[in-house]
Amino acid sequence: MTARLLFLLALLATVPAAAQDQEAVRAKAQVCAACHGPDGNAVSPEYPNLAGQTWRYLYVQLKDFNEGRRSNPLMSPMAANLSREDMMALANFYAAQPLKPSAFKVDETKAKAGKAKADETLCTMCHLGGFMGQNEIPRVAGQNYEYIVLQLKAFKARTRTNDAGTMTSVAQTLNDTDIENLGNYLTGLRP
Amino acid sequence: MQVPSPRFHWIAALLLAFAAAPSAAQEIQGQGGRGPAMIIKAPDVSQQMLDNADKQSVNWLHTNGGYSQHRYYPGSQINTTNVKRLRPVYLFQTEVKESMETAPIVVDGIMYMTTAFNHVYALDATTGQEFWHYKHNMGPITTFCCGPNNRGVAIEGGRLYMGTLDAKLVALDAKTGQKLWETQIADPEKGYSETMAPTVVGGKVLIGTNGGEYGIRGFVKAFDSRDGKALWTFYTIPDKGHEGVWAENDATGRNMKRDIPAEKDALAKNSDFYQTLGGGVWMNPAVDLASRTIFFVVGNPSPDLYGAVRPGDNLYTDSMVAVDLDTGQYKWHSQYIAHDVWDLDAVSPPILVDAKDASGKMVPAVIHGGKTGHVYVHDRATGKLIRYSEAMIPQENMWVLPTATGARMLPGANGGVEWSPMAFSPKTRMAYALNLHQPMTYHVEAGQYPGGKLWLGGAFKVIEGEKQWGRLAAVNVDTGKLAWKFDTAQPLIGGALATGGDLVFYGEGNGLFRALDARNGKLLWEFNCGAGANAMPVSYSVKGKQYVAMGCGGNTQLDFKRGNTLAVFALPD
Repeated sequence: MTARLLFLLALLATVPAAAQDQEAVRAKAQVCAACHGPDGNAVSPEYPNLAGQTWRYLYVQLKDFNEGRRSNPLMSPMAANLSREDMMALANFYAAQPLKPSAFKVDETKAKAGKAKADETLCTMCHLGGFMGQNEIPRVAGQNYEYIVLQLKAFKARTRTNDAGTMTSVAQTLNDTDIENLGNYLTGLRP
Repeated sequence: MQVPSPRFHWIAALLLAFAAAPSAAQEIQGQGGRGPAMIIKAPDVSQQMLDNADKQSVNWLHTNGGYSQHRYYPGSQINTTNVKRLRPVYLFQTEVKESMETAPIVVDGIMYMTTAFNHVYALDATTGQEFWHYKHNMGPITTFCCGPNNRGVAIEGGRLYMGTLDAKLVALDAKTGQKLWETQIADPEKGYSETMAPTVVGGKVLIGTNGGEYGIRGFVKAFDSRDGKALWTFYTIPDKGHEGVWAENDATGRNMKRDIPAEKDALAKNSDFYQTLGGGVWMNPAVDLASRTIFFVVGNPSPDLYGAVRPGDNLYTDSMVAVDLDTGQYKWHSQYIAHDVWDLDAVSPPILVDAKDASGKMVPAVIHGGKTGHVYVHDRATGKLIRYSEAMIPQENMWVLPTATGARMLPGANGGVEWSPMAFSPKTRMAYALNLHQPMTYHVEAGQYPGGKLWLGGAFKVIEGEKQWGRLAAVNVDTGKLAWKFDTAQPLIGGALATGGDLVFYGEGNGLFRALDARNGKLLWEFNCGAGANAMPVSYSVKGKQYVAMGCGGNTQLDFKRGNTLAVFALPD
């Protein structure tokens, strides 16, 4: 922090609180960094990128882990002790980070087939055109390929049910090839 | 609160510190640098003006033209003989390029229009010059299924009223755009939001709620127009008796394939789901001033497709309901689809007309254009269904139950007639209904209440390779017969407007704003406004000149091309 900024902070009464909040969020986010990266770009492709995600999706997923509607051996204990304010602050923090392009090499033929499947499945009715998400519906554009495949399979196998069946229902109409194709298409929608 | 990224936090902090002016000031923008453009004389809309709104051709004072909701403009300066010369007068461009569903309100040459995300503009209705621009300071949580829509303001005295995506009701000063008060209608985190324009009558602001896709408990509420104080609430889901009469057939007599013994068993085990049973009311009520009754239609039960967790008829979902204007007391209901598992909710706003009953006698009636593709005609006093029209669009496989792998049924989940308000012309005695044809498969999937998130209990899918299209149908309310139909390349969503010049105006997702001959459906005029013409057209006159206005901003739900333009037309001088 520069001396000049410190001077400004001292001058403006409302600022220290905001700055402290920001520091507090960064501190809370440190435990997330081991998997999701310090800036929300995941360290390994089986974990989701949180950077650039809609804040509401991140908030409701934390809430679902916290209240037991979604479970995962890594995430459930992490979310167990978060307050509503913590969850909102973390969700906002990651939503504001820029998403970096995935290193995954997209197979263009598969991506094209994935787009056709996505059109037929009306994915954009919820995820919006460009798959940027809205409200509690996640952005999946540019998400990690491995994570997308894992989640679609989890929905299909009903091991992830916290969306109350919408994605389970959609996933029942997808075979393994469709899922691979969709993964290629969505990962390829680069930021 | 939105937390800025760390790189920018000091900038944000500076902004916070220096923007010390009252928040109201930030919500209003004037003409910035182009000289003063102000509303000189504040509008003052009396109750008498509101009562007689549909009997004059100067102002457009209600979203749907009047309390009877005819969407009929009596003036005939623009008519079947001269409409081909209709030209744009101005194109007003808003700051918000998203789904546009607004119906502008026009009073004394001033227009009030809204956009997605709850912006309001006050304009000179003859030139498009902007007087002020209000941006609602949106709360951190908004929950809505089908686009960040808004369908307009209501006006009373010198005040405007708007429902917001974060489930508030706000009152604005019509002269300045300053916020006068706001009140929280319901909790947006549980799935409540507002997109409908309110209806104001006798000092009461009436508004329902969205949220049928989120496990809400629907309602219509009345607020005091002076201060936003809650006056009464009618819950569309009664806490007892929502199982109804265990109807085996829909309103048209077709069997709905319900397993009623299984439903009764399930109800015996749990009847406590009324808090999450849905039943949104998301379009305007009609108001009968003589009997002081309001009539509205109620949306689908939650979850949409998975009925096992909500045994019974799910009253008053998918119904027309009449309640007392002054107290909110129940008068009658008439259910179209009991225990709906297709999301075929009742949504297009009711219209008050007189219609012939079964014996040929003219009686006060109330009509509704259904997602099922029928126009339903009810006796206004009792709710009894007098008749339903022949199907306006193809029906197939009704009522096949949704399956895990998908069952095909027509119409698809959007209708028939979606939220699109019909128009009614007293000259032709026809109702004009915008229909969609979207073949779909219905998929069911078990799912428990997900805590305020989307709760469909399955999915809808369009069928690959099957053509989708639209149809404007003219229905004779006295016979239920289709007088004519006009087919369109795309499914139709938006409002219809009928006029004393025997015209019907409507728009399409490809940008075409069109005028048809109300008597025979002949295409007389069109203008491509460049983005989906999916708002609700209105007409008004200023200094003896008739105008027609249509919002062209596309539609999220059907993914029609977005834009940000209000197009206004008149005949050349």
